[in-house]
Amino acid sequence: MYRLKFFLKRAVFWIILITFLAVILVPIYWMVNTSLKNPREVIRPVPTFFPEAPTLENYVKVFQAGIWGNFFNTVVVAVASTFFSIVLAFLASYALVRFKFPLKINKLFLIWVLVVRILPPIVLAVPLFTVFNQVKLINTLPGLVVAFQIYTLPYSIWIIYGFLKSLPVDFEEAATIDGASPQRVLFSIVEPLVRTGVIATSIFSLILAWNEFLFALLFVRTPRLLTLPVVISRYIGEYATQWGELMAIGLLSSLPILIFSNFVYRQLTEGFSMSLK
Amino acid sequence: MKDKDRIAYNSFFYIIFAPALLLILFLTTYPIGTIVYNSFFSYDFISGVREFIGLENYSRIIGEDLFRRSFINTLIFTLSASFLEVFLGVLLAFLLYGSFRGKRAASLIIIFPMIISTMVICAVWSTFFHYEIGLFNYILGQLGLEPVGWLTDRNVALTSIILVDIWQWTPFAYLIIQAGMGSIPGELFEAARIDGARGDQIAMRITLPILSGQILLVLMLRTLDTFRLFDKVYALTGGGPANATQTLSFFIYREGFSFFNFGRASAASVMTLFFVAFLALFYVRKLLKEES
Repeated sequence: MYRLKFFLKRAVFWIILITFLAVILVPIYWMVNTSLKNPREVIRPVPTFFPEAPTLENYVKVFQAGIWGNFFNTVVVAVASTFFSIVLAFLASYALVRFKFPLKINKLFLIWVLVVRILPPIVLAVPLFTVFNQVKLINTLPGLVVAFQIYTLPYSIWIIYGFLKSLPVDFEEAATIDGASPQRVLFSIVEPLVRTGVIATSIFSLILAWNEFLFALLFVRTPRLLTLPVVISRYIGEYATQWGELMAIGLLSSLPILIFSNFVYRQLTEGFSMSLK
Repeated sequence: MKDKDRIAYNSFFYIIFAPALLLILFLTTYPIGTIVYNSFFSYDFISGVREFIGLENYSRIIGEDLFRRSFINTLIFTLSASFLEVFLGVLLAFLLYGSFRGKRAASLIIIFPMIISTMVICAVWSTFFHYEIGLFNYILGQLGLEPVGWLTDRNVALTSIILVDIWQWTPFAYLIIQAGMGSIPGELFEAARIDGARGDQIAMRITLPILSGQILLVLMLRTLDTFRLFDKVYALTGGGPANATQTLSFFIYREGFSFFNFGRASAASVMTLFFVAFLALFYVRKLLKEES
């Protein structure tokens, strides 16, 4: 009797778990499935659960349409935004942790950064559009890198600030007494100690920048300069049922993160358990 | 330290702090000042005509059905999406608590939706939602049910967008809550079990109260994030059908970038800001309390 109950409990557990996993995996599988179908099979009223005659023609088409360029733009913008955010956030957070600025600037700045992280970005888009227009940053990739700091910089500052705050000051003091300059202390002692945290933060920042849609949509118009999310949104709208190509782009755009998902998972869980402490 | 050294020491910190400070001021403080200022003007960006009209933008917008609709839709979306995500996240965390074979693989699969980009997710779901050849209506047909206008029926469209958000962000709620659960010492459960507590009693009386801080945190994070809803509306419905999926962000977008009516867009932005500030008050206070 006891064993039967145990067995039933296990069975229910697995059924629920597998249902959850199926709900998560079906859309991803559907992307692969559709991307391998030919255009006629895609629009059939009875969807096929496996491509009847698997073909790579969708992939060929999107490459011919110049998706490499868009892919490249997305990589460049995401990496550059992350790089700038991490460097600026690391420097600023260190100053905030170890130095007391006058007029309660430390606290005010941190609150302001938090407020920025919470703002709906569209609120900033209208005034920034006019400013970017004046300084000729509209319709350029560097312009996007600057705009993306709205997302990545506050985020990086809060996380790196947390890491730096939990660091004991002893090492730095010892090095200072030995005559090391503040620059030396920062780069030879502090930086190596928080490197893992910085890597985790970079991962979050890369995901944010890779995803960004609003400013990428509003600030760049030339097709050659578009990033992947905007290309995808155009496909959803304009070519109503070119689903094969749409799914091929979607899959290509998700590939980098899915390949590293194991690594990302570890960073995410560690990052969260750190930030919750 | 000598005076000269002290100055060098201090200026080092000013120098490393300045770039981030200036960039944040340029990207946020200046624009917010501008929208407050512009909200008192009738300002057409294309013609460049700017005329002071006091509070007229505000009074007009508040009186408009479309703005009220946007506000209500945003509230409905924010509340239902974030509550359901947290609820499902807690459920998942309970389900996966403890160790079993394949836990690592299951957790890995669970985070997929939150790392894939929103537009890719919208692309897949837009094919599911298609009225004639979408997967959902095909399955409904097989079950002998009427097809649903997932994105074309004004009573359903907002729910469809909520569904997509739940699919994407439940994993995030799960991830934070399971991290909190993992830090509860196991002896606590053992002690309760020895005292004769049943599984549901342990969950309700021990686990959930301990997790309440984390649950509140995820709820706040999700509320603030869902409140900005724009991407999914843009990609899936364009605010339609019949404005059924208009949100505050989308309202500002249309005023600003479809009609180039920067005065009205600014007034709507200021109102949105006030509301977000109100929402964020709790969040900021909680975080600052932890800070000190």
